[in-house]
Amino acid sequence: MPSYKLTYFNGRGLGEVSRLIFAAAGQKFEDVRYERDQFPAHKAEMPLGQMPVLEVDGVKLPQSSAIARYLAKEFHLAGKDNFDQAKVDAVVDTVGDSFKGFIPTIFEQDPVKKEEIKKKFFTDDLPKHLQNLETLGKLYGNGGHFFVGNQLTWADLYFYNFAQTYIEAEADCLNNFPWLKQNRAEVEKQPKIAEYLKQRPKTQF
Amino acid sequence: MPSYKLSYFNLRGFAEVSRLIFAAAGEKYEDVRYERDQWPAHKDEMPLGQMPVLEVDGVKLPQSAAIARFLAKQFHLAGKDNFEQAQVDAVVDTIYDLLKAFIPSRREQDEAKKEELTKKFFGEELPKHLQNLETLGKLYGNGGHFFVGNQLTWADLLFQNFAETFVGMNADCLNNFPWLQKNRAEVEKQPRIAEYLKNRPKTEI
Repeated sequence: MPSYKLTYFNGRGLGEVSRLIFAAAGQKFEDVRYERDQFPAHKAEMPLGQMPVLEVDGVKLPQSSAIARYLAKEFHLAGKDNFDQAKVDAVVDTVGDSFKGFIPTIFEQDPVKKEEIKKKFFTDDLPKHLQNLETLGKLYGNGGHFFVGNQLTWADLYFYNFAQTYIEAEADCLNNFPWLKQNRAEVEKQPKIAEYLKQRPKTQF
Repeated sequence: MPSYKLSYFNLRGFAEVSRLIFAAAGEKYEDVRYERDQWPAHKDEMPLGQMPVLEVDGVKLPQSAAIARFLAKQFHLAGKDNFEQAQVDAVVDTIYDLLKAFIPSRREQDEAKKEELTKKFFGEELPKHLQNLETLGKLYGNGGHFFVGNQLTWADLLFQNFAETFVGMNADCLNNFPWLQKNRAEVEKQPRIAEYLKNRPKTEI
């Protein structure tokens, strides 16, 4: 069994999907969390000066999606064959597309502008991506509640995490998307996930 | 043998890496190219109203990176095991980060602003990302010229495509990156790639 060390900020962000994968698989790992003021001292240890980084038996891997996909494949949460894995990747990329529009809402400092960008995101931008996600879920989900192939994959965990961020900013944002709500409910009630969600640190992001 | 159909604009863009993968593997596929005025008539055929889309035995897959990774895995151009595939994915994501930095200068309509953004991209952002790519190539490349594991993978093909675009706009932009120049040369002299590059339609991007 390899040894795994995941290094990220003390937050969900881009590291959480990997933590969810470890949890869903019941796999141990070293969960290193840096507060923002601790990171500069460690930046040079990271191959690209960024986090998350996964260390597997001492070899470092950057890039959050590459890390998550690797772990998902190791623990059979990536899709049952090459084509199912491609469908999972397509769902993940579509979630990623939705987050691109959210990022400006995080970094805008002016409160009036921030509110304006946020309103536009939740009214115009996000619904389009959520519609796309429901389309893929219905296309690839074999009639079930998970995005691909009637089983939990990291696509479900990936959506679960980013949707949480959206819901925290705008509680009603999934109201017109019953399939997606049901998908999240299904993820939350998996026993290992439910346990993890109960125990994990509560963080700002 | 599955039947493959790739649909995209008559451009290199986000689909070219998949065309390069087919070429490197010596695999046949239907290479559907739409001019911009033909596209609206076909938009509804695409799962997310976007291209590229790969159709495999009639099942449609959107999202350019998911498509490319699937094909690379089918044709053994993705990395020899799960961890190498993760290293390839990390290089790929770093190239896509570079593209994200490039896009604002492409989208800007105001000529003066466009000029400024382009200058900033080539002056500051591109070198940073190129440095990251050289770091990964030296970390994962086993001393060879390819990004990962001393063999051609789709990471090398993806870099070749966008390097061609950047060098086309700014001929000196790789001058300070000899490892990357060598990598690109190594890719372009692979016989099937050389043949493909000679014969493919010539498009600006």
